[in-house]
Amino acid sequence: MDVGQYLGIFLDESQEHIQALNDNLLTLEQDPENEDSINEIFRAAHSLKGMAGTMGYKRLQRLTHDTEDVFSAIRGGSMKVTSSLIDILFQALDAIQGYVDTIRDTSDEGENDNESVIAELGKFLNGGGEEGGGAEDSEGAAEGASEKAAAPVSSNSEKALYKKIVLEEAQKDVMKDAVVAEKKVYGFTVYIAESCMLKAARAFLVFKAVEEMGEIIVSNPSSQDIEDEKFDLSFSIFVVTSEPMDKVVAAIKSVSEIEEVAGEEYDETMIDSNGTEADAGEAEAAGEAESAAAPEAESAEVTVAPAAEPKAERRAASSSSSSKKAAPAKKPVASQTIRVDIDKLDVLMNLVSELIIAKNALVSSAAQMSGGSNSESQAITENVEYLESVTTNLHESVMKVRMVPIESALQRFPRMIRDLEKKLGKRMQLTITGEETELDRTVVDQIGDPLMHLLRNSADHGLETPEVRSGRGKPETGSIFLNAYQEGNNVIIEVGDDGNGIDVEAVRQKIIERNFMSEEQAMQMNDKEVIDVLFDPGFSMAKQVTDISGRGVGLDVVKSNIEQLGGDVEVKTKLGEGSTFIVRLPLTLAIIQALMVLVGGEKYAIALGNIQTIEDIPVSEIRLVENKEVIQLRGSVIPIIRLSDMLDAPEVERDTENLIVVVVKKGDSLAGLVVDELMGQQEVVIKSLGKYINTSRIISGATILGDGEVALIIDSNALF
Amino acid sequence: MADELRIIDNDITQYIVVALGNEQYGIDIKYIDNIVRMQRITRVPKSAEYFRGVINLRGEVVPVMSLRVKMGLPEGEITGKSRIIILKVDQSGSIGVLVDEVKKVYNLRADDIEENISHDSKSGVQSFISGVGKVENGLVSLLDLSTIIGEVD
Repeated sequence: MDVGQYLGIFLDESQEHIQALNDNLLTLEQDPENEDSINEIFRAAHSLKGMAGTMGYKRLQRLTHDTEDVFSAIRGGSMKVTSSLIDILFQALDAIQGYVDTIRDTSDEGENDNESVIAELGKFLNGGGEEGGGAEDSEGAAEGASEKAAAPVSSNSEKALYKKIVLEEAQKDVMKDAVVAEKKVYGFTVYIAESCMLKAARAFLVFKAVEEMGEIIVSNPSSQDIEDEKFDLSFSIFVVTSEPMDKVVAAIKSVSEIEEVAGEEYDETMIDSNGTEADAGEAEAAGEAESAAAPEAESAEVTVAPAAEPKAERRAASSSSSSKKAAPAKKPVASQTIRVDIDKLDVLMNLVSELIIAKNALVSSAAQMSGGSNSESQAITENVEYLESVTTNLHESVMKVRMVPIESALQRFPRMIRDLEKKLGKRMQLTITGEETELDRTVVDQIGDPLMHLLRNSADHGLETPEVRSGRGKPETGSIFLNAYQEGNNVIIEVGDDGNGIDVEAVRQKIIERNFMSEEQAMQMNDKEVIDVLFDPGFSMAKQVTDISGRGVGLDVVKSNIEQLGGDVEVKTKLGEGSTFIVRLPLTLAIIQALMVLVGGEKYAIALGNIQTIEDIPVSEIRLVENKEVIQLRGSVIPIIRLSDMLDAPEVERDTENLIVVVVKKGDSLAGLVVDELMGQQEVVIKSLGKYINTSRIISGATILGDGEVALIIDSNALF
Repeated sequence: MADELRIIDNDITQYIVVALGNEQYGIDIKYIDNIVRMQRITRVPKSAEYFRGVINLRGEVVPVMSLRVKMGLPEGEITGKSRIIILKVDQSGSIGVLVDEVKKVYNLRADDIEENISHDSKSGVQSFISGVGKVENGLVSLLDLSTIIGEVD
C-alpha cells in the first residue's frame, strides 16, 4: 500500500497529537482527577495508534497501543494517576516522538523496539488491574469475530446495515440519555467507493468528521478493525449529536471516495429493538466490546472541543495548542489551506528578491531618461511607478505567507519546565503569552534554542529554592514567564522570572577574580556594563567552572544566535526581585526599507525601521562628554558616531560647517550617525556576505543596487 | 559514459595555471565554478586585509580575496589581464580569488606531481602549496585550496 502521499499529513497530525498528550499529561500531573484531560489523552493516543496502523508503522502502533491501554485503565478507574506513572508515560511519549522523528527523517520508523518502556507500561498494567489485559483479550476476540460478521454483511443487499448492530445495555443507556437530553441519535451505514485504495484512511476521515459534531457510540466493524482495514466497502456507526441529520450526512459525504450514506434518526424504542433481528448478533457484540470503550472516552471532550472555551480555563501555557488544534480539526480535508514545502517558498522569495533588484535597476535607468519631456518617457515613468507598487505588494504578500505564529517554537517549554522542576527540586510555574505573534518562518525555526537557554537559566539560576523563597516572603512556587508581542517592525520576546535577579556586585567580583579585567576597570563599569560582560564568550566560559553568581550559562551562545537572526538581547534585573531578558527580533529577514547614505564615497544602507529622525547639526553644537562627542537634541543628550571613522572610510572632502546626523534608536536609547550625504529611501534585498569574510558586527549584510553595485548594510543596533 | 571517461583518465588532473607576478600557480579545475573579468569591488570594512571586498556575481554577493596578499606578496596593480576565479569548495557558498592573469589549462598525470615538497615554515607561501607539478616549460606550484580558504574561518 502506498501511503507516501499521506506521510506529510501523518507527520503533522502526529505532532499535534503528541503535543496534546504532552499538554494534557502536564495538566493531569497537577490535577490527577481531571476527566477532560484523561479523555483528551485517550483520544489523542487512540488517533495516534490508528494513524500508525494505517501507515503500517508496527512498532509505533504497538507502543501507542500499550499507552492507550494504560489510559483506558485510568479512564476505567482501575488505575490511579501517580507521579511515577506520569514519568513512565512521559518516557513513552518521548519514545513515540522518537519514532515520529525517525519517520520524518527516513520515512521509516526505525529498529528501536523501546522494549524497556513497553515493559514498564506492562508492569503498571498488570499491577494496576485487569483492565489492560482485558482490553487486549477483547480485541483479539474482536478481530476473530468481525471476520465472521463480514460474510452476512456483504451478502446483504439492504443498505441500512446499522440496524443489525446489537447494542449493549451500556450503549443503549448512553443513547437514551442523549435522547432525554434532547440530543439526536442517528444510525449510519457508510459505503466507500470500490475504487478506493485506502479504505482505512477514508474511514478514519469519516470518523474524524463525525466526531467533530458529536460522539460515535458504536461502530461496526470495531474501530480497531477499521483501522486495520479489516472491513469490506461499508461500515456502520451510531452517533449522538445535537446537529441535524443532513449536516452530519453532508460532513460524511465531504470525505472523498464516499459513495453513499444510509441513515435514520433513532428514538428510544428503536434503540431498544435494534439488532434483535440480526443473526450475526453475538459475533458483532463481541466485536463491539473493544471499540465501545474508545468512543465513550471521547464523549464530553469532543462535543465541546470546537467551542474551545472550556480549554481557556487551563493553564495559559497550553491554551494556544488547544486553539490551534481546534482550527485544523474544522477542515480535516484539505480545502482552504494547503501545506507548502518551505523550500518552494524560499524559491518564491528569491524570485521576488530578483524581481525587486531588476525593478530597482529599471527605476534608476528610468530616472536617467526622465529628462526628456516627451510623452513616451512620461509613460515609462508612470509604468515604472506602477511596477514599483506592484512589486512592493508582492513582496508583502510573500512575506505574509512566510509568517507563522511563534507558538510552534514554544510548545515544548511547559514540558521542559516540568522536567526541570523534578530535576532541580524547585517549584515553578511557566506562563506564556502571545504565542500567536507571527514571525518569519526562518526565525521561528531558530529562536527555540536561545529561548530554551533563557528559560533554563531562569529555572536553574534565577529562581530560588522554596525554602529561600518563603524566607523572603515570596510564594514558594516561582513564576517564569515568556511574553511575545509585536512592536513596530520588531517582535519582542521577554523571558524572565521572579527569582533572585542578577547580583551585579558578585559578577563584578567574579570579573576581577577571573582576571577578565583589571580591578580598576571592573570598578569603573556601571551595572549595565557589568551585566553585558555576562554575554561575553570569554567570560562565560570561565563562569561555567564555578558558576557563583548564578548567571552566565551559555548566554554568549544565546546572544550570538539571536544576533545571527538580526536581533539583539538585553537584560533588566533587580536583585531579589528577578530578571527579564528582552529579545528583539526583526519581523522580516529578507527585504527591508532602507535609507541609502554616502560615507567616504561609499554607499551604505541603514534600515529605515531603526531611524528616528535626520538632523542637520552645525559642528559648533558638538560637545564633549567624557571625551565622547555628543549633541543636544530636543532636550536629550545623544552620543554621535562618525561613521567614516567607524568604517575606515576613504578620506573625502567634507562640509566642515554642518553635519548630517541620522538619529537611530534601539529600545529607549538614541545615537546619531554622521554621514556625508543622503541618497534617499530604497527597498533593499538583504544578502549574506557568506561565511568566508569576517567583518565588524556593524555590517549585517549586503544588498545589490539598481546599477548592479554591491552596497553594505549597517546594523545600527550593533553601534550601541 | 562520463564514468568510463573518468576511469580512463583516472590519474590525470586538470589544473588552471594562474600568474602572480613572475610565479605560476595551479588550481585544481574541479573547484572552479567560473572565471570573471575584474569588476567593481565593494570594500568591506574591518575584514581581513587580504579581502578586497565583495562583488555582485549574477545576483549573489561573493567575497573576493587577493591571492597575492594572501600568499604574502605585495598587492599588485589591476590590469586588463586581471581575473577573479570563482571557487566553490563546498556547499556553503562561493568565494572569488583575484589573480594577475589566467595562463592555460594543464593536464597533469599523478607521475608529474611531486607531493613531498619540504614544508619549510620560514616562508608563509609554502603552507598553501599541496605539491609541485612538472609542465613542459618548468614547474607549477599547486595550490592547496582548503588551507587558503579554510584559514579564513
